[in-house]
Amino acid sequence: MADESLAQTSNTLFNVAFLTYIAAMVAYFFRLAFTRVSADGAIAGTAAGRRIGLAGTALAVAGLAVHLGSVVARGLAAGRVPWANMYEYSSMLALGAVAVGLVVVQRRFGYGHLVGFILAAAVLSMTTGLLLFTEAGPVVPALNSYWIKIHTSAAMGSSSIFIVGFAATALYLVKDTAERRVAARSGAAFAGSTVGAAQTTPVDARPEGYEADAALDDRDVVASPLAQREALSPVLFPLVPGVVVALFTLLVWRAPGGAIVAGSVAALLGTAAWYAVPFLPPAARLDNLAYRTIAFAFPLWTFAIMAGAIWAEEAWGRYWGWDPKETGSFFTWVLYAAYLHARSTHGWRGRRAAWVAVVAFGALMVTYYAVNLWIVGLHSYAGDI
Amino acid sequence: MTETASPPQAPAPAPPRRPRLPVIPGPLETAALAWRRLRRMSTALLLLFALAAASVVATVIPQEPVTARSVADWRSGAAGPGAPVASVLDALSLFDVFGSPWFLALTVLLFVSLTGCLVPRYRAFARTLRRPPPAGRNLSRLSHHEVLATTLPPGAALDAADAVLARRRFRRRRVGAAGEQLAAERGAWREGGSLVFHTAFYLLLLGAVIGKAFGFTGQITLAEGSAFAETRIAYDAAEPGRYWGLDDHRGFVVALDDFDVSYFPNFTPRDFVSTVTVSEQGQQVRTERIRVNHPLRHDGMTLYQLGFGMAPHLIVRAGEQVLLDERVLLTPQEGTPNLWAGTAKVKFDDLRRQLALDLALVPNAALGADGQPVITADPRPTNPVLVGSLYFGELGLQRPVPAAEFDRGDGPVDTAMLRPGATAELAKGSLTVEFADLGYWSGLQVSHAPGRELLLLGGGLVLVGLLPSLYSYRRRVWVQARAADGGAAVTVAGVALHRKAAFDDEFAAIVAALRAALPSATPPTQER
Repeated sequence: MADESLAQTSNTLFNVAFLTYIAAMVAYFFRLAFTRVSADGAIAGTAAGRRIGLAGTALAVAGLAVHLGSVVARGLAAGRVPWANMYEYSSMLALGAVAVGLVVVQRRFGYGHLVGFILAAAVLSMTTGLLLFTEAGPVVPALNSYWIKIHTSAAMGSSSIFIVGFAATALYLVKDTAERRVAARSGAAFAGSTVGAAQTTPVDARPEGYEADAALDDRDVVASPLAQREALSPVLFPLVPGVVVALFTLLVWRAPGGAIVAGSVAALLGTAAWYAVPFLPPAARLDNLAYRTIAFAFPLWTFAIMAGAIWAEEAWGRYWGWDPKETGSFFTWVLYAAYLHARSTHGWRGRRAAWVAVVAFGALMVTYYAVNLWIVGLHSYAGDI
Repeated sequence: MTETASPPQAPAPAPPRRPRLPVIPGPLETAALAWRRLRRMSTALLLLFALAAASVVATVIPQEPVTARSVADWRSGAAGPGAPVASVLDALSLFDVFGSPWFLALTVLLFVSLTGCLVPRYRAFARTLRRPPPAGRNLSRLSHHEVLATTLPPGAALDAADAVLARRRFRRRRVGAAGEQLAAERGAWREGGSLVFHTAFYLLLLGAVIGKAFGFTGQITLAEGSAFAETRIAYDAAEPGRYWGLDDHRGFVVALDDFDVSYFPNFTPRDFVSTVTVSEQGQQVRTERIRVNHPLRHDGMTLYQLGFGMAPHLIVRAGEQVLLDERVLLTPQEGTPNLWAGTAKVKFDDLRRQLALDLALVPNAALGADGQPVITADPRPTNPVLVGSLYFGELGLQRPVPAAEFDRGDGPVDTAMLRPGATAELAKGSLTVEFADLGYWSGLQVSHAPGRELLLLGGGLVLVGLLPSLYSYRRRVWVQARAADGGAAVTVAGVALHRKAAFDDEFAAIVAALRAALPSATPPTQER
């Protein structure tokens, strides 16, 4: 094919972006380690942290540009949109997550020191992409529709944002646990989590979607940042994500080697989260970030499902057939809807709602990886292609 | 679901002598209790979780309407956890979660809960819409307030402020004896959007039910050159809705004039196209091409391209008598690409002297060293070779099972290898088989899906309602003007009822807009 060299270029750029992201991730984690949080929740970096953070941002932006080049080259090589198989989709997910991380988390919310976690998620996603590598090629007739531009890009965009939302939710849970334990140890009057605390009083008077940013002002200020780290178990933090990710990988790919690698990376991330606890933004702010990202992605996901139904009607002759992928995206939708409802339900705000979001993200991962690779259906990539 | 009565709040004046009988709520009370409980948001959440759990089950366990073969394998124990477990799953109708009674019950409960939540909210929303923005008191004590000086008189200043707030889509009203205060409110569509979003689910449900009850789906396989009439008996498989009657079939005739498939250089199919002619009452109405993603809509029915296969035209003769003259539909063989196989029932009226041909076709054969055709990667029928194996005797062809499942007994009597146009003699010349030419068959699905428009409308409303329900925030702003020397002193104040974090910037923007609209004696550069 004449596009052979373009496809090769795309692969090379992918690898370069992959390595650049890893370097950027390391720089961001250094930046995190050199960050200090003052008592009022303001985030400040030390001079060294700022410098290394700048390097990290430069690397991430460069990686993003290279990655974009890879995606464009792939599209040109295949003569279609570059998101028609799992390799390309995983690549696009990483691209979207990094872009959202840089634009929303770093620029808009000013939590640049958290981007390392998002880069780690992008690296993991690209790793799965490498495991599922497919040569640039044409698609089966069923995928050959303008709906692939609409349905798939909406699903992709919302999934990337859900990744960022998950990172924020997980960090919120970590931070909230640390805050509670420290408060409990110092014996301070503490009415529960920061989010819960704000909503213990006139809860029913507050309309749906009420957010508790004001809670920051009347929170007990953390005595020593290191006390938060000491409040958390250094064993559980690498262990739980490591085991969960390793089991998921083992179940879906049946590859013990891959499971060990993925589990180790997740364990490393858990350790990073444990180490970073004192430097994380206050729990209420992380909760807000999680809500904002998920609330943005949810309508997009809703639209993706609807566009998918319209496409299914055109390609397969029925708009909804409870195909495993349809069912999977439906339960992901239901769980995220439950999260949004839980946030405005008495007794569910704060940690419980966050756990719903964690489960919802798990559902998204199952829908994407397990349903595609493990369960046979119309969307399945398990058999052919 | 009887709740135990809560203990009395106030201590009884005199301790009762007799042991208290438990308070058993009557049927009405129980119903009221159940209704109250069903209306709670936490109940709705639990129902949502149950819905999610049901879907998870349906993803992991194969579903009969979707993957019937996997279900059969699970039932027989050939796959999955084994036959005993499968029978338990079957008893719980877990092989058809979405058609099961308990899923129906769950759906009904969800919608009852939704109704219970929505009715009071509609009333409250109507009240909110009717209620004018409330007057503000002690403006200078609110969290956000600012005093501006202007050269305009108070009345004109308020008019200017009114225009500013109107542009920002605030509902406004003049308050006070002399109308000295402007009270404004926005963000009511947060609740309105939420109501639209939730109400749209009734439309989705209605559309789905209508589609299920009055719809029809059928599959048909057509060889090139053949036709079928849109009637129930013509379909290979049909799934009529409960209220779809035999009279609802349209009766038009669809003839497959031509089928064509094209491939990419790596031999994955690029496109497949059926060219069909639709006739009504003997009159040709239209000739159209049906492709994947490009169905043909005719008279309320939609024809979709599903699959295709090879259909060699065979003529089998015994002397002068023609036993078979038709296109035999061959299907792809799982695990062996580019091999098509099928069975031709040649003669089966005499139960003891039946004739059948097992057919295998290689579309682009290379010849192996032993003279046998070898399958190549090329799926195009450029060099087709057909191998026919003749069976004779008591084959059981009359049984109502797929043709391929006939009784092969002692094996084939004779075998012939044919290329298009060739004729071979079988069974010592008593039969001749002619492979006249090679064509295709096309698999079409014919559907009637009413309620689609309703679903589309419902889906649109879900999105239309969702956006304001997530992104609209309620805010109240008051502007008060009082006469001061050289014009008026204008007090602006505001409160946020949601998302207070974002209100700082919004309020600053409103103040800036007011400042721009109110001419001031001091130059604007000094204001900030």
